[in-house]
Amino acid sequence: MRSNDKITGLVTVTFGVLVITNSRGLANLPQQDYGAGTFPMVIGGLLIAFGGLLTLRGLRSSAPLMVWVNDVPIKRFYLTLLAIIAAIVAYILLVPVVGFPIVSTVLLSLLLYGFYRQNWTLAACTAVASTAVIWVVFGRLLQVPLELGILEKVVY
Amino acid sequence: MDSFLAATALVFTWDVMLIVLSASVFGLFMGAIPGLTATMATALLVPVTFFMEPLPAIAAIVSATAMAIVAGDLPGALLRMPGTPASAVYTDEAYLMGKQGKIGVALGLNIVCSMLGGIIGVVCLAMLAPLIADFAIKFTSDEYFWLALLGLSCAILVSGGDRLKGVISMLAGLAISMVGMDSVSGQARFTMGSYDLLAGISILPVLIGLFAISELIRRMPESHNPQQEIQTRVKKPFAGVGPLLWKYKFGVARGGVLGTLIGALPGAGADIASWISYAIARKFSRSPEKFGTGHPEGLISASSANNASLSGAYIPALVFGIPGDAITAIIIGVLMTKGITPGPDVFVSEAPLVNAILLVFIIANLLLLPLGFLAIKGARHILSIPSGVLFPLILIFCMVGAFAANNTMFDVWIMLAFGLLGYVMAENDFPVGPLILAVILGPIIESNFMRSIIKANGDLTAFVDRPIAITLAVAAALIWGMIMVNGIASNRTKNKLSFNH
Repeated sequence: MRSNDKITGLVTVTFGVLVITNSRGLANLPQQDYGAGTFPMVIGGLLIAFGGLLTLRGLRSSAPLMVWVNDVPIKRFYLTLLAIIAAIVAYILLVPVVGFPIVSTVLLSLLLYGFYRQNWTLAACTAVASTAVIWVVFGRLLQVPLELGILEKVVY
Repeated sequence: MDSFLAATALVFTWDVMLIVLSASVFGLFMGAIPGLTATMATALLVPVTFFMEPLPAIAAIVSATAMAIVAGDLPGALLRMPGTPASAVYTDEAYLMGKQGKIGVALGLNIVCSMLGGIIGVVCLAMLAPLIADFAIKFTSDEYFWLALLGLSCAILVSGGDRLKGVISMLAGLAISMVGMDSVSGQARFTMGSYDLLAGISILPVLIGLFAISELIRRMPESHNPQQEIQTRVKKPFAGVGPLLWKYKFGVARGGVLGTLIGALPGAGADIASWISYAIARKFSRSPEKFGTGHPEGLISASSANNASLSGAYIPALVFGIPGDAITAIIIGVLMTKGITPGPDVFVSEAPLVNAILLVFIIANLLLLPLGFLAIKGARHILSIPSGVLFPLILIFCMVGAFAANNTMFDVWIMLAFGLLGYVMAENDFPVGPLILAVILGPIIESNFMRSIIKANGDLTAFVDRPIAITLAVAAALIWGMIMVNGIASNRTKNKLSFNH
């Protein structure tokens, strides 16, 4: 999704304002005119200035506010984006409760079925094998604490 | 000599050799799949390298990136789809050579020239880096401030596209780098009360988000499209490569040296090196009209340049601790987590490690020949892996990788946020390079600025009272002048175009 420069420019200006507002309360170093807020104030000011220039450029152009410039249908893009975000959010929220092996297997099965469009058995088998490989490499070899979740009671 | 012997003892061990080989195979796979880049390969490799000793960690990254750049030539020559941006400039040339029945020569030239370019790059790195380090040992915080600023400015200038958006991207990166505890006063900034943000935003989830998740957002909707079949059969790769190499030997050398120098510029990576090298090869060619018709001259020069640039990027990274590109930014991060701070001192204090890195570069480049040969033979199988299977696996790998750096789910949120930001930036022509370099260089610029200003008791003229500092300041000012002139010119062109529209 491509936006007109006035939208991205205004977002930049807003970001600059937020940076300045949040750095005003930072104290200077003792007996100095400089401190933790100096650099953020400069950066915030420059973001407002350059964001303003981008907004001006956007105001002068006749480009639409938002336009979809891609060969892929927009509906498919939104569905894919939603699937990616949902998968990541589900991973973050469910892994500490249910555990990595189950969450990874279920998510991978759903994603593989959704994107590859083959049968469920193939998707599930690939998901189980891939989860096992990731578990061995990260969980065992590299000692990353991947949660077992509800499987912990089963395993131990 | 002692340090060289110590370096060989470090490199020629079973674990380092095995890591070099495995990382090369990983790089081959990543580079050969269109859309997966060498930077993405590095970002995915980092969670694994976090658990290694410094040398094996760097060896893995060096081998994977060198192989990924070469493997990117395979889909370019066989399917007319560049595997990585670094192969894009000569994709048509290689594909058209294939149509003329010379696919073996095209791919053979890609591999041999990449190997030669890589070796030229290592030689330049070995010769230049210690010389510059000798000079850089005199630097104080003033010079480091200007140098880091120069690096950032250079990144905007060479990132291409819209300069105004390049500047905004850099400023956003600097703002992001300020999140967390201020290194001088210890005050918490922009943490919004979050304990997780006190240590700042971790670089690994930022990299995975910007380079892997944003690419998945862009590529996954296309994964329903049918896989392209390889029509051309590769017979006798390397046959006929020798005479062509001899004929264009100056092109190989020029590509290698040019690639190294371009790679050393902050922000300029393998893709820019290969574009510039191709353009120069065409300019100096006796038959420029043949370019774009399946002529090997440009391909030779650009293949040599893109691999040489990988070594070039290590010059500022090792000498000044200032990354030349996203890959060396990751390397600096890896070294720092191992307690090694890159800088001129590293050439004395860690001389065996520096020599070992150079040796690894040579081994990784020599490995391009046998692995490249196997890749050509197995290209049909690698390229037939459906993206609908590959992308979900990469997505899970990204989530585990982002978590693995600090063992916190907060980093997975960060990865998601930066993935979305990276996608929006790419769609709106904001270059990602200046942002990532600013995230890395931000703390260097700020801490050196604060150190100098405290030292000089608030006197700003102290920043330019030493000859090297003033030279760097003038260079930075010149680059900003060029950015402004370029920005105004492109603005005028845009306005004219929109008026005519």
